[in-house]
Amino acid sequence: MTFRERLQQWRYNLIPDHVIGEILQKRWTDNAIPFLALVIVVAGFGTAIPGFFNPGSLQDSTRQLGEFSLVVIGLTVVMLGGGIDLSVGSIFALATFASVACFFLFNLPVWVAFLAALATGGLFGAANGYLIGYLRLRAFITTLVTFIIGRAVYDILVVNFGSAVQLSDAMSDVWDFVGDGTFLGLSVALLSAIVLAVITHVVLTRARMGWHVQAVGGSRRSAHNAGIKVRRTVFLTYVFSGLCSGAAGFLIATRLSGAGPGTGLGLEILALTAAVVGGNSLGGGRGSIVKGIMGAIIVLVMTNGLIRLGYGTGTNQMVLGILLAVAVTIDIRWLKNRHKVLNEVYVAPVYLKMGETQSAAPGSGTQYELNNRLSQADAIGLGELEGPEDVILDRDDNLYCGTRHGEIVRFFAPDYKRSEVFAHVGGFPLGLAFDRDGNLLSCVGAMGLYRITPDREVTRLSAETRRSLTSIQDDARLRDPNDLDIAPDGKVYFTDSTKRYDAHDWTLDSIENRATGRLLVYDPATGKTTTLLDGYRYTNGVTLAHDNKSVLFCESWACRIHRYWLDGPKAGTAECLIRDMPGYPDNINRASDGTYWMAWLGMRTPSFDLSLRHPGMRKRMARRLPQDEWLFPNINTGGVVKFNDRGEILQTYGDLSGQSHPMVTSMREHKGYLYIGGILNNRIGRYRIEGADPAWDANTAYWGKRA
Amino acid sequence: MIFDPILDLFRGKAITIPPLDGALRPNTALDEAEVVAGLPSPDNLVWLDGRAVCSSGAAVIALEHGHPRQIAEFPAEVTALAVSPKGKLAVATDDGKLSEGGHEVQLPGGIGCITALAYGPDGALWLANGSARHPASGWVADLMEHGATGSAWRRLPGQEFHKVAGGLAWPNGLLPDPGGITVSESWKHQLIRLEGGRMTPVLRHLPGYPARLSPAAEGGAWLAVFAPRTRLIEFVLQEKHYRYDMMAEVPRDYWIAPALRSGQSFLEPLQCGGIRTMGIHKAWSPSRSYGLVVKLSPDFAPVASLHSRANGHRHGVTSVIEAGGRVLIASKGGDAVLGTGGAA
Repeated sequence: MTFRERLQQWRYNLIPDHVIGEILQKRWTDNAIPFLALVIVVAGFGTAIPGFFNPGSLQDSTRQLGEFSLVVIGLTVVMLGGGIDLSVGSIFALATFASVACFFLFNLPVWVAFLAALATGGLFGAANGYLIGYLRLRAFITTLVTFIIGRAVYDILVVNFGSAVQLSDAMSDVWDFVGDGTFLGLSVALLSAIVLAVITHVVLTRARMGWHVQAVGGSRRSAHNAGIKVRRTVFLTYVFSGLCSGAAGFLIATRLSGAGPGTGLGLEILALTAAVVGGNSLGGGRGSIVKGIMGAIIVLVMTNGLIRLGYGTGTNQMVLGILLAVAVTIDIRWLKNRHKVLNEVYVAPVYLKMGETQSAAPGSGTQYELNNRLSQADAIGLGELEGPEDVILDRDDNLYCGTRHGEIVRFFAPDYKRSEVFAHVGGFPLGLAFDRDGNLLSCVGAMGLYRITPDREVTRLSAETRRSLTSIQDDARLRDPNDLDIAPDGKVYFTDSTKRYDAHDWTLDSIENRATGRLLVYDPATGKTTTLLDGYRYTNGVTLAHDNKSVLFCESWACRIHRYWLDGPKAGTAECLIRDMPGYPDNINRASDGTYWMAWLGMRTPSFDLSLRHPGMRKRMARRLPQDEWLFPNINTGGVVKFNDRGEILQTYGDLSGQSHPMVTSMREHKGYLYIGGILNNRIGRYRIEGADPAWDANTAYWGKRA
Repeated sequence: MIFDPILDLFRGKAITIPPLDGALRPNTALDEAEVVAGLPSPDNLVWLDGRAVCSSGAAVIALEHGHPRQIAEFPAEVTALAVSPKGKLAVATDDGKLSEGGHEVQLPGGIGCITALAYGPDGALWLANGSARHPASGWVADLMEHGATGSAWRRLPGQEFHKVAGGLAWPNGLLPDPGGITVSESWKHQLIRLEGGRMTPVLRHLPGYPARLSPAAEGGAWLAVFAPRTRLIEFVLQEKHYRYDMMAEVPRDYWIAPALRSGQSFLEPLQCGGIRTMGIHKAWSPSRSYGLVVKLSPDFAPVASLHSRANGHRHGVTSVIEAGGRVLIASKGGDAVLGTGGAA
């Protein structure tokens, strides 16, 4: 091995590149950019401004933050619902005036002042909501109008009653406490913002109402089709926003004990910037309260910081404008390109040097030499079937297979010309096995382990195992359950081929070649599934040895067959039975003469084997070429191979023409015939095996004569 | 997009190839064409004494009313043919030798890979030397090494050969005219025109590797494109380490490289799109081999084309001639000489 190759091996096998793709799949990565901005802003201004973190200064800032956050929370909910609210500033100002007027002009109690603020906010919000939600006016124009009218009303009121407020001598301890006091060291404004944020977050993420809001924002039409009352939901978001602004207005009224011409001026721009900078999408449907709060902190620290550093209002506005522009650009570009980036970085190949193999080419004279025998197989279900990955026969000689439409199809004996849908499971039914009672068990790709009773009742047996400690993606879920076999004690041994790709993307796992395949056991007594072995390159076919003392399973991309001991001195350990085959093994099943059949889903090619030693090349290939152009193992030629308990190869069957059975994923011997399935094929093959026991039936071999 | 330069660091640039569109829109004309003769690897077609003659391996075969008859045999594979205005047959072989009218011609040093021959209207013999490093049969290796050591030569009547142009990336077809010559430059997917010591591209960005050129009856030319460009091959051509390891360790037939025929062995590379699904081999799937004949206008713009797509068999067309009222096509990868009635 050259030094360069060894470097590649270290680079790609020791550095976990796949983690990047797995992290990018998490929804919380949307928060990464705003969070980074938050850290930079706080750290930057914290060092630039002396005394930034002083308790007194912090108390003042957080009080302001509390009021501001309330407004932002309201606006965030509106944006999540697909709208926009420009009138938050004027609603805020009017609510301030309402509470100030109640308290100072009419000498009403504080709680009345609070209710007056809420009522003002609610009323204006309802007006917005009615116009936008029910009359379906444009949100932008409508709230702009509310903003202008509200501001005008406020200006008139302030001019007429401003001096009267200042001359009032109303006093209240409660009023002062709300404005200046602290509780547990936190101001009332901050506390109320925290409480509201928590409640809103829980409602948005856990409650029906919140889900409705996000659904409406994500797609109005789909939400309507799903039966959500779209108009009412939109209406309520504006009411909520109005109430939030109202509450914030009350808080600032208590803090400033007055209302001036500047109250709430430009607040809508600040709030909008905060919501967008936090990462809430302007298009609706994507965002969270946490994002809104992050944005609020960023904007507030920035504007206050700039003022304290001596910059004027003009600079301040400009910075806000730039911030908004950058945030909107990132928002749109990120949303649009995130899945592309994910696609490009998800495939993270590893290094593997495949062992030297014997040739399977016709005329090579090796034990693996392929022939053309399978091309003579009779076709069953030609043109009707799509994707029979596995095939199985019952005691009455009827033939069953899964299809890519998620169905189990039954062909009737003796001529297999008639068929019916035996059961609809969904997913992609792969491996099949009959248990003692004649139930059909199936590994269903993308779903789990299922049982179908003779009267067609479908039950899920298992869809998860224990999550491993270091997993980023949840690997408790069974992603690609592939094949199974049932032991005499009823335990089901089955494989989950990969943790990295969904069942329909199984071929991509060969490009990556990361060892994430598992062997699992389902115990019907407890209903629990346990992971027996982990870290194989695409575990696939499973069968119990004829003596039931071990389980044979194959590791497709490594071209190996392993034996897992259930009994005897080596119980609980695995050993390799056959290594370095020239083909990729798939299902394994028992043969009538005490040996085993194995399907080859494809053949190794020298160019692909070489690419396994060039993980960097495969990685660049995955990024620079569309998937249809990727180099694959040759899965257009497969075959059936017979081997015995010592791992000796006895016979091979192939279809070199590729016309009938290019890829073979399974085969089942039954009464002298071999039934052949292929996951990408449009038929089942039926091939007469010379010298096979014409009475042998796997059901009898496993479970004895019919009771 | 403004973030592309940043994102490119993480994802690399996409590799693209020219689309088969416009005059090059795919059809199945080659698969539907009549088989004039079934021959192993028919290569260069010429018109001699009122009949078509083509090379096949080391033999030269005359096609008389559909009956192939061997008229000459050589110790090495025949790589190019040409007929002089006086009716003499020039034959080049893979061992770098050239004979004219049955007599061996002395060649200057530097010629050992004759890929095409053509007589000009003035009687001059033009010769394309594909590479200075490989014989004509070693074209795959030359491509994989990014070879650009080919040259074009001319011998005026009664004179010696002299080099007209060098540094060509596998010149593979010649079309002389009174003013100069048009040469197909395979590895650069283009046709260039040599005239008065100047080299100008006349047709660029072909979707495949061009081979021989021949005049069309009504003006213009026929161009045989012997293999398609695929994005995987273009990618491998940029992957130095993989490519050199592949050349060192993998048998040449199984390289990720263009080919005259494909799908013969399960040891050949397979691309995702080429997977046989539900019994169907998709026509659009990426393939190492393809059949493509392009008709060019007098100013070398493609005007029509004949195809054999990924699921067809008439691949690896290396030579086309229009003579005797029909177009004859040598599908080297499809082991057949095809004929279509006149213009496509």
